[in-house]
Order: sequence, then C-alpha cells, then structure tokens
Amino acid sequence: MNNTTYMAMEIALRGLYTAQRGMANVAHNVDNVNTPGYSRQVLDQRAARPLLVANSAGMLGMGSDIVSVDRMRDTFLDEKYRSEAQYLGEWEIKAFIIEEMQTIYNEPSDNGYTKIISDFYSALQNLSTDPSNLSIRAMVKEKGIAVAKYFNSVAAHFDHLQEELNNMVYAKVQEINSLADQIRDLNLQIYNYEVMGNKANDLRDRRDYLVDRLSRLVNISAYEVETGLKLPNGEPEKRFMVTISGKALVDHGDVVHLKCERRTQKLNFEDIENLFEVSWEDGNVIHIKSGELRAYLDMRDGNDGLVGLNGEKSPNVKGIPYYQRKMNEFVQVFARTFNEGIIDIDGDGALDKINGHVDGYTVTSRPGDLPGGIRFFTMLGSDGKPLSSADFEAIILDYADKNGIADDPSTEYDERLLAGYSLITARNFSISFDIEDNPSNNIAASSAPGEPGNNENLKILIGMRHNPYMFMEGMPEDFIKTLISSMGVDGQQYVQSYEIQKAILNQVDNRRQSISGVSLNEEMVNLVKYQQIYGAAAKMIQTYSEVLDILINRLGI
Amino acid sequence: MRITNNMLINNMMHNLSNNLTRTQKYQYQLATGKKIRLPSDDPIVAAKALKLRTDVSEIQQFKRNTDDAINWMDITESTLNQITELVHRMREITNQAANGTNTAEDVEKIKAEAEHLKKQLIDLANITYAGRYIFSGFKTDKPLLDENGNFNIAVSNSEQIRFEIGIGDDIDVNVPGSDLFNGGMNANSGDKSNFVKVFDDVIAAMESDDKTQLSSLLADIDDQIENLLRVRAGLGARRNRVELTANRLDDDLVSFTNLMSKNEDVDMAEAIMNLQNEANVYMASLATSAKVIQPSLVDFLK
Repeated sequence: MNNTTYMAMEIALRGLYTAQRGMANVAHNVDNVNTPGYSRQVLDQRAARPLLVANSAGMLGMGSDIVSVDRMRDTFLDEKYRSEAQYLGEWEIKAFIIEEMQTIYNEPSDNGYTKIISDFYSALQNLSTDPSNLSIRAMVKEKGIAVAKYFNSVAAHFDHLQEELNNMVYAKVQEINSLADQIRDLNLQIYNYEVMGNKANDLRDRRDYLVDRLSRLVNISAYEVETGLKLPNGEPEKRFMVTISGKALVDHGDVVHLKCERRTQKLNFEDIENLFEVSWEDGNVIHIKSGELRAYLDMRDGNDGLVGLNGEKSPNVKGIPYYQRKMNEFVQVFARTFNEGIIDIDGDGALDKINGHVDGYTVTSRPGDLPGGIRFFTMLGSDGKPLSSADFEAIILDYADKNGIADDPSTEYDERLLAGYSLITARNFSISFDIEDNPSNNIAASSAPGEPGNNENLKILIGMRHNPYMFMEGMPEDFIKTLISSMGVDGQQYVQSYEIQKAILNQVDNRRQSISGVSLNEEMVNLVKYQQIYGAAAKMIQTYSEVLDILINRLGI
Repeated sequence: MRITNNMLINNMMHNLSNNLTRTQKYQYQLATGKKIRLPSDDPIVAAKALKLRTDVSEIQQFKRNTDDAINWMDITESTLNQITELVHRMREITNQAANGTNTAEDVEKIKAEAEHLKKQLIDLANITYAGRYIFSGFKTDKPLLDENGNFNIAVSNSEQIRFEIGIGDDIDVNVPGSDLFNGGMNANSGDKSNFVKVFDDVIAAMESDDKTQLSSLLADIDDQIENLLRVRAGLGARRNRVELTANRLDDDLVSFTNLMSKNEDVDMAEAIMNLQNEANVYMASLATSAKVIQPSLVDFLK
C-alpha cells in the first residue's frame, strides 16, 4: 500500500511550484522584450518521476517538474547573420566616406572645379581681347590664385579626412580588443556555470550579442570546439573561439589583441605621415578581409592597387591616396603645359614643345628682348609662400641633378623640366611669386617683344584647354569629369551594396527574431495558463485539506 | 512563421526609414530644383552636368568675345567711313584746284583745306578704342603716324589681332595700319605713309599751282580710294561673320542651357507628385503601425 495520506497534497504543491516557475519565466521574458540579443527562454516541463505501485497496478503520477530552462536560438542563423554583418559594416562605412569625399569636390555645383577652371579661362579670354588692360591682368591673377587654392583646399580636406580615418582605424582596433576581452570574460563565466551541467542562458545571449557586434567590425568566425575531455556531468567539454582569417582572437580564456603601430615608411607617396599599421600583438601579419575596419583601411590606403613605397600593394580600391595622386597628376601636367608648353600636341604619344608662358613676352619688353621666361604656376616654398619662377627653376634643376636626369638633345624639350614638375602636388600648387607680385607686367601674353597688343602667346595657352592629348583622359575638363564620375560610380555601388546588405541582414534578423524574439501575446497566454494552474493546484490543496478535515476531525472518536 | 513584437517594430522601423529616405530625396529635389545632390546619385547625370556647364560657360565667353570684336570693328568701320569721306573731299578739291579758272588766291584757300584734311587723316590713323590705337597692329600702346605722316612704329600686315569666337575659330578684328595707310605693304618705323604721301604731293602741287600735276595726282587718289574700299570690304565681310557667329552663339546658349536644365533640373510636377505619394504612403504606414504595434493581449486581460 503506497498511497500515503499526504501524497495528493505533495502533488498539488508541485503544481504550485511549477506554476510559480512558469510565471517567473513569463516575467523574465517580458522584462527582456527589448534587451538587445536576448533570446526567449522556455521551461522544459515534464511529469515528475512516477511512483511504482507495489501491486503491479502500474505507475502512480507524481505531478509536474521543471527540468531545465532553455533559450530558443538557432546557431545556423547566428552564423548567417555574422557572415552578412561584416559586409554590412564595410559597405555602410564606405558609402558614408565616399559621400564625404564627393562633398569635398562639390560637383556638380556652381562653385566646384568646373566653375573655377572656366572662370580662369574666361579671364584669359578677356585678356586676349585686351592684352594690355591692367584690371583684366589683375583678374587673371586672382582667377589663377582661385585655381591653385581650389586644389590646395581639396588636398587639405583629403589630408584631414585621411587623418580622421586613421583615428577611426585606431578606435575600431580598440573596440575589437575591448569586445575580445569581454568575450573572454564571458567564456570563463559560462564555463564555470556550465561545468556543473547548468545552462548559462543569459550569459550566452550576452556573448552572442558581443560576437554580433564584433562581426560588423571585422571578418570573424565564432564557434565552439570540443576539447575531447568530458565534464563531470558526462557532457563533452567545449571551448568558445573567435577567429579572424583563421587566427584566434579569443580562444576560451586567451586573447591575442590587435595593435596599431605608426608606420615608419609611408605606404603611398600621397599619404600623410605616421599612419597606423594594424597587426597582431604577437607580431604576425593580419589579413582583414571585410568589416568596418576593412572599409576604413581601404578608404585610407586605397590607391587602386598601386605598389606602394614600402613595396606592398595598396588596397585595390579608389581611396584617398588615389584621388590625391590624380589631383597631383593634374596639377603637374597642367602647370607643365601652361608654363613650359611641353605637351603632346598631335596625339602621337610623344611630348612636343610648343610655346608656353615662359616663351611669352611681358608688357614692358622692348624690341630685341628675350622671352620673359616667367612661369605662371609654381609651388609654395617651405615658408608657405609662392616660389618665384627663377627659384622654382633652380629647385627643378637641382632635383634633376640629384636624380641623374640630363637633357636629351634629341628631344624638343628639356627632360630636367619634365622630371622636376613631379615636385608640384595639389597641396603646394600655387601661382608664381612673379605673377602674384606684378601681374600687370609679368603675364606674358605676347609672342614678340614690345607688342602690348599682341595676344598670340595667350591664345596658344588658351588653346591648350582643348587639347585632347593633355591627359590620358583627354582635356583638363575631361580629366576631372572622369575623376568625379568614377567617384560617383563607386559611390553608387557602395550605396547599393549597403542597401542590399541591409535588406539581407534585416531578413536574417527577422528569422532570428521569429525564433528567439519574445511575443507578448504568447507570454500573456502562458501567464493566464500558469495562473489558472496555480488556482487549480491551490484548489486541490483546499479540497484535500477539507478531505483531511473530514478524516481527522469529523470521524467522531 | 512565428511573429514577435520586436519583429513588427523592426519591420516598421525599416520601412518607415526607407520611406523617409525617399521623402527626403524628393524634398531635396523640390527645395533645390536639382535631380541629384551627389555624383553617386546618378553618375551619368553628374558627368553630363559637368560637360554642359563647361560648354555653357565657354559659349558665354565666346559671346563676350564676339561683342568685343563687334565693338572694335564698329569703331574701325566708322573711322574708315570718315576716311572715305575725307579722301573723297580731297579728290573733289584736287579736281577743283586743277581747274584752270581758279585764281592763285582760290588755290591758296583750297590748299589750306587740303592741309587740314591731311592733319585730319593723321588724326584718324591714330584713333583709339579704349585707350588702344586700333591701326597700330600689336603695338596698341603707340600711335601709328607722327604729325608728318611718317610711321611712328614698324607695322606689318601679319599683326592681326585675333579673337577666339568659337573653339579653334579665330577672327581678325583689326586692320593693321600698313594695310590701310601703306597700300598693303609692311612699314618700317620712319617710313612715309604712302596714303599721306599722296596728300603731301597734292599739297605740293597746289603750292606750285601745277595744274597738270594735280590732274595726274587724281589717279593716285583713286588708287588710295581703291585700297580703302578693299580694306572696307574685307572688314565688312569679317564683321558679317562675327555677326553670324554671335547669332549662332545666342541660339547655342539657349539650347545648351536647355539641355543643362533637362539634364539636371527636376521635373517639378513629377517631384511634387512623388513627394505627395511618399507622404501618403508615410501617413498610411504610420496609421497602420500605430494600430498594429500598440495592442497586445495585455490590453485585453481583465
């Protein structure tokens, strides 16, 4: 006879406990509806271990029991999310940066490059209709300054942006390290809880959330590996690993940080000094394939795959150095053509020498004088002031000398000049001191001495604007047009990729939410369910207590 | 599929933000009147915009150049007109002086007028436009003739001041003094202008009252008139060409500005419609979201 007096009471009590646990679980879920990364928890409720009845009548039910609390999570979707999030991070940042770069060029607008260069040529045209007019000469000087300043300003903005991106590289590396540390700490906590066979649901949620964040920053894989050992409860021991391109960032309780070191040698000629190089703290080279960090590195270092000064290939992306390089190329060719008249005039692929500004004559020249020899554009000297034409020539010749470049008499032009113009960059581009100081005389419009009304030389200078062989891309306007449209096309692609990635990630996240998200309706139904059960169990206790009352008090003795 | 509260909210936020992005785009278009804000919005429109801006600014510049050319040519033309009248008068009085019935006193008076005409011719040869001597070739800072009618400077027929009135399209705006005042021959500084020389010869013949000489000088005057007509005809033809170019540039400016507008300006009606459309969608999505995300079973449990 196994039917003890209080057994029903005990079963009812278990019902109360189960209902209470259920309601507590509802409360926990509802509280965490908006907790990022939270997965809803469900109770694994089973019938309690039954009692074997001695007279082989079978098993006697002993009420309900909660065996475990599980979190609803699909690790496949987690993996999917992380593999997509790295691209979302990358495209988002790239789209953002290229938008800023486009704003620097400020095209199409009424105050961008097109306007400034058109104004300069308009002033030259005006001068050609009245070459001795001093006020127009002053205007040519001002418009020339505007052209130089435009390039200086664009280059300075690009420098500034590169500096910002460099700081962001540093910040992102710190963020990755900090996330890695937090994940390591959680690994240890989770291990300690779970070693006894518990489930550290909330800690795992937190860890998954941190890994999600990390996955936006850099390409990672996160997985649990079995060590081959057994835990005390018989389960296999697992270690949690996060790797970047195959090398472990976090391996259970161990972290290898990333570090930022200032480069001693610049990657690209166009770079500002002291950019950060990212590597593993243990000195190994890191391969960052995607994520926000990749985006910052690409836009900071991208020089269209050109091999850099330190022999390494720059990222195959048109980033800041690429545009700086193109701007430098523009000012070098533009200045050389305008000053020296060294240009491919007939499109045969070889440079020719025609008249440039140096070959023109000034207003005050007398018959029999030599050409003015004045360069319209030079560069800023080390003191930040425009160099005079003569000083500039000295620097050029010195540079050619040091680099062992000599004039080849078989060509029409002087090779030393050609080489020396590589000293001009968008940053230091300027009109020459001679022009700034005295445009009234020094703008060399005339093709012969002592002829103030002669505009022939000016017309040659103006004509270069329509020389389709000035750049590989064509005329000066074509060059910038190509630059800006290639930036536009890249920008369009980045924005589109970002939109697509956002949609993909949204869809993956929705699928995750579908499994892991808390539904208030569901929780309310559960609440009511457990409330009813609680009521019913309580009723059981009340009823059984009445039964006992009858048994004990009324069965008159 | 199991739908949870946060999914509803996420989807709603995602869609609302997409909707607002589009609204912002149309709003920007309406506020600025431009189709694109950045080259990446539409790289093709951006590239075209750059090209058209350059074209328009060049056309405007060429128009200014044609205006300048026309002004210069007008001054030259009116000067040539005066010279024509002057040389015709010279021919008339030479003819008069050659007439045998004139007394010595009459010839003296005529000679006085002839000298006056010569001085006037030299003045006309040294006429300026905006401070520049128009017949002095490239030496626009110096007068062409001195007071005796000798060349003050060397002038050659190749000293053609050219204005650019189209890409690679130049027009000679000036008449070099050598062409007009030296019978089309290059002149060196100090040479006697052969135009003025005819006048000098006439005055000398009047001085000596040499009637046969005066009669024979009529042919020389006719030569100068011939030369003058040739120069005027050339100038007239060039002026015509500039005029035609100016008209064409006017047309070009209109059509290029139109193209530019078509390329980058927004179609207002369309943008307003799009914006209205987005606004409607936005209102609808707000209204439905408000209905969907608020209530749950919580609101109905009593």
